[in-house]
Amino acid sequence: MPAPPDGPGRRRHLLYVAIGFPPAAKSSTYRLRETANQMCAAGWDVTVVTIARDSWELESGIDPSLLDRVDPRVEVIELPLRRADLETEIRLFPEARAADPMGWVKQLRERNKESFPEAAFGGWRAALERAVLGLHRARPVDLTLVTCTPYVTLCAARALWEKHRVPYAVDFRDGWSVDVVGSRTAFGPDSPEGRWEREVLDQALSLWVVNDPIAEHYRTRYPHLADRVKVVRNGYDVDSAPDAAGREPSGLPLTFGYLGLLSSPIGQLRALLDAWRLARSTEPLLAGARFEVRGHGGFGADRGGGAKIELLRRSEDVGVHFGGPVNKADVAGVYAGWDALVLLVLGGRYMTSGKVYEYMAAGLPIVSAHAGDHDASTVLEGHPLWTGACGLDRRKLADGFAHAARLAVGSGPAERLAAQAHARPFERSALMAAGAQDLTARMDRQTLLTGVPTP
Amino acid sequence: MTEILLIASARPELAVLTDAVGTLTSLGATVRLAAGFDLGEHRDALARTGCASLHQLPRTFHGRSSVVRREALRLGAGEQLWLRSAGDKDLRSLARDAHVLVALDADAVYTVWRLARRHRGAHAVFGLAPAVRAVRADATPPSALTRVRHGLPSPSVLTGDLRRGMRRLPGTVVRAATVRRVLRTSAGARLWRSVAALPALPDRVRAPLAREAAEGMRWAGRGGGAALTLLGAARRTSDAELRATLLEESARADIAAGRPPLALTEAVGGWLSLADARLGANDRREAATALHQALPLVFHRALHIDQLTTPMAQDAAAYTRPLLESQTLRTVAGTARGRAAAAAPAPTDRPLRLLVMTHGNANFLRLVLSHYEDRPDVELRFVDTMQHPELRRLARAHWRVIADRLDAATWYRERLERLLRPHLKWADTVFFDWCEGPVAMLTTIDPGTTRVVVRLHSYEAYTQWPLLVDFSRVDELLFIADHVRDLCTSYVPQLSSATAPRMRVVHNATDLSSFDRPKSDDARFTLGLVGLGQIAKDPLWALDVLERVRAYDERYRLVLVGDVVDPEKSGASRQYRDALEQRLAPLVRAGAVERRGRTDDVASALVGIGVILSSSVREGCHVAVLEGAASGAVPVVRDWPFYAGKANGARTTYPEDWVVSDPEEAAGRILRVTSSADRWRAEGAAASKHALSTWDWSVVRKDFDDVLLHGGQPLPGADRS
Repeated sequence: MPAPPDGPGRRRHLLYVAIGFPPAAKSSTYRLRETANQMCAAGWDVTVVTIARDSWELESGIDPSLLDRVDPRVEVIELPLRRADLETEIRLFPEARAADPMGWVKQLRERNKESFPEAAFGGWRAALERAVLGLHRARPVDLTLVTCTPYVTLCAARALWEKHRVPYAVDFRDGWSVDVVGSRTAFGPDSPEGRWEREVLDQALSLWVVNDPIAEHYRTRYPHLADRVKVVRNGYDVDSAPDAAGREPSGLPLTFGYLGLLSSPIGQLRALLDAWRLARSTEPLLAGARFEVRGHGGFGADRGGGAKIELLRRSEDVGVHFGGPVNKADVAGVYAGWDALVLLVLGGRYMTSGKVYEYMAAGLPIVSAHAGDHDASTVLEGHPLWTGACGLDRRKLADGFAHAARLAVGSGPAERLAAQAHARPFERSALMAAGAQDLTARMDRQTLLTGVPTP
Repeated sequence: MTEILLIASARPELAVLTDAVGTLTSLGATVRLAAGFDLGEHRDALARTGCASLHQLPRTFHGRSSVVRREALRLGAGEQLWLRSAGDKDLRSLARDAHVLVALDADAVYTVWRLARRHRGAHAVFGLAPAVRAVRADATPPSALTRVRHGLPSPSVLTGDLRRGMRRLPGTVVRAATVRRVLRTSAGARLWRSVAALPALPDRVRAPLAREAAEGMRWAGRGGGAALTLLGAARRTSDAELRATLLEESARADIAAGRPPLALTEAVGGWLSLADARLGANDRREAATALHQALPLVFHRALHIDQLTTPMAQDAAAYTRPLLESQTLRTVAGTARGRAAAAAPAPTDRPLRLLVMTHGNANFLRLVLSHYEDRPDVELRFVDTMQHPELRRLARAHWRVIADRLDAATWYRERLERLLRPHLKWADTVFFDWCEGPVAMLTTIDPGTTRVVVRLHSYEAYTQWPLLVDFSRVDELLFIADHVRDLCTSYVPQLSSATAPRMRVVHNATDLSSFDRPKSDDARFTLGLVGLGQIAKDPLWALDVLERVRAYDERYRLVLVGDVVDPEKSGASRQYRDALEQRLAPLVRAGAVERRGRTDDVASALVGIGVILSSSVREGCHVAVLEGAASGAVPVVRDWPFYAGKANGARTTYPEDWVVSDPEEAAGRILRVTSSADRWRAEGAAASKHALSTWDWSVVRKDFDDVLLHGGQPLPGADRS
């Protein structure tokens, strides 16, 4: 049976629990937005459940320009939830918290884990469950799709399944039982997390992850779920890519850029800056070069500050400049002003990162400050303006900066267009459309086989 | 103009601060900083951030009453900052004018919280970005009238402050009534002891009152009185957990004062009863918590290690009986999960993979490691769990070990699987030196087919660890002496059960050959004591011996090699050190004692020593005696009192004639063996020969090979010469 055609009264209802949906300026927000849009396009009425937008002021901030490209048919429900651990309004603190902010937060996290094994978000479980059951009462839900992190959203899917047998799918993105930063298993099957993961995935209609190594992890850990694991890569948004046609080789002084959340540990950032300092003193093309860092740094009380920002600010003598976050609408313009990009990402073979796709699509030389077996290397392989993975070795990374500088001054429109062409298979709307169609087809198949949709 | 007051307990990041102050200034704000840290050296740098003024908050409690200083001791850093600053007129004035109060770090939050309750019109935020947001949100500062209105604390704040004041009043009153000058007198201390033990006081009043009074007594130098006060209060307390807690506090107060803890038995009994009750209710985590409180008390180092005697030495089984009568402890100590597969025989087609492990103490491994490092039939790996951040933490996670044995779900086992399994998979044999927490950690998981060998030296026998190790996962337990084995098997249930590992005595690995050097004639009258850093070495006994031989001949003198006991370790250590220093001073002045301090070259120090003493109350094998004997010094060994009269002890460790019962007998032996140069040299040569043929590494290493390479069996036909 084909999916119901687009039209009044025929569209099925998707409840999409997507904490981090626009206007939250999180790195995952583009994927969430495109998922909602593509599910809409695949014939679903989409209700998004997220948290109140002012809550994001404690974390990654908000970017209203992100709302511009949300399908107007998508309904967004904002729950009055807030990261209590990141609260900065001291008047809201009980005295015990004021006296010992760290100790209080530690206890809060322990309490949160009593509801669900996730320190920062476990306490949201009851509110999420209540909310989705209420939404189902108001308009029956045909399919729940939850996206993690946070993992507590799994409770919402389970609540609807257990009470009303509403099928669900999970967009696990970076996975849960795999530690993508440490490249190892994050927890065992008998831990609270392990039991939750298995229980949820056993009944899931489909499980999305962002790359093949993570998919392999799940297929190995749960062989009976192998055919439900689907790789849906992050990709890039076309409107974030600058126009490379006609862009001539860069002139001196060059400007390198980094755009994204400053999530790497300070030691890695320090290693990168040391390498930059060395490269600038040894490579003539980099004399007078500038390195602009844009993005979010720090949460809660540390927002906009913290040791990493301090480190960047203290590196101004070598042309480093921290410029804060960039609105989505301005991303292409920022890339257009740069001559080369610096890809500093955490993790190894299980990590791809979202920004690698956007970087590729910028058509600029890319210096890769990550391990060789990083999944970002997999997608960058063949990119004509890539220096290769340099790791965090100071000398190798300095060579990488010099290499990128030579690529920047030696590449014309042809090379830049070729670089953008390398990125084209990763255009986000196409990737997410394939994911949405696959999920819709699975739902149709289940309905056809059993009369009622069960995994 | 918007006024911003930043409060910081530690120096903020300068560049980030400069950015934020720049932004705030551009929004029309004036930014001022009140510093709880020392502004002195940072004043210029901070001035460059753009702050309009810098104010130094009081940094100490200098000039404040002892009541306030005592209260401060109980508070966290955040509340201490407020306690120091609350009366600062300049701060109050700055806060009154501020539209935004900003805490720059966690320890400044409480001060902002308190100021914010007084000044309702001001924003109160944590961090610079929220401060910028607050200024942007409030483009127009409130009018003067609004500020006056909001500048007054609300009735609810006043009520809250009053309530807080009332709540603290009893503490404050008691603290004021237990000032040092009152409690220094016996009458004052006795009065407060009686008050804390008054009948009919509710627990919620009695406990804080007793603690305040006890704190005051400690403050006044009456540690014993503090312990008695807490004990008296505990005996009148009905809540079982609070009672056990007060009893424990009493015991610890005595220990800190260097006194035998009167409340020890009751405190341990209290925690064990609680543990058993909780276990009965299947609340395993809380049962683990209660047992976790009891065990460190039973095995407190001040009772066994830093002492000249211990109830463990008199009758370990009797001392630990209350423990073993507890169902919870029996469950924990009886956990014998065994292994799924027997240890595999040593490989014959490749080198044996030997994993040597320790936790921060490789002092007795140097020879072992260098021996196996060079052997082609051994592939050696060494892991010091102290050097591994996560293992270091887990090795000391006492509660988690107990909870694991009680099957209270924790992530401990799983985490260990991840960290230790790769090592266990690699190794054919694991040799773990020192039977402490890390061995309890290791035996939490099944070792697979890897052979596990553990060595227990001596001090571990006086700790909780042998009770927490799952010995069914240990193939071989090595002791360095028979008497240590006897002690352990007398109270560790698993060591006398069917799942007990094979146990054997293997001497310490010591290279004695380098100690055999010629001695001068003068050495005949020089007694030596090497190593005196613990009370158990009892150097005072050596002084008793010295005085007796000097009464006969003033040529005798004593050389002390090593640092004396660290007085910071415990009250008992402090007292022992004081007594020792007092006795040493005149002897040093008279030239009868020479203090040489610690040395890495013991062999050279022994050249001038003719008689080596062991004055200890307990030892495993006393390496200094082995080295002294090997050097040709005549050994005079005290019959270590912890083991004297038992089946094994100093008399079975050494030749009978080396061992003496008391200083009198020791003096007699010294005078006899040094009566002539010839006799002294002959006795020394015999001692050296015995030491080298019994304890030298060339002899002992065969035992190590048997244990570590040949599955615990002597190699047939192996050359043991």
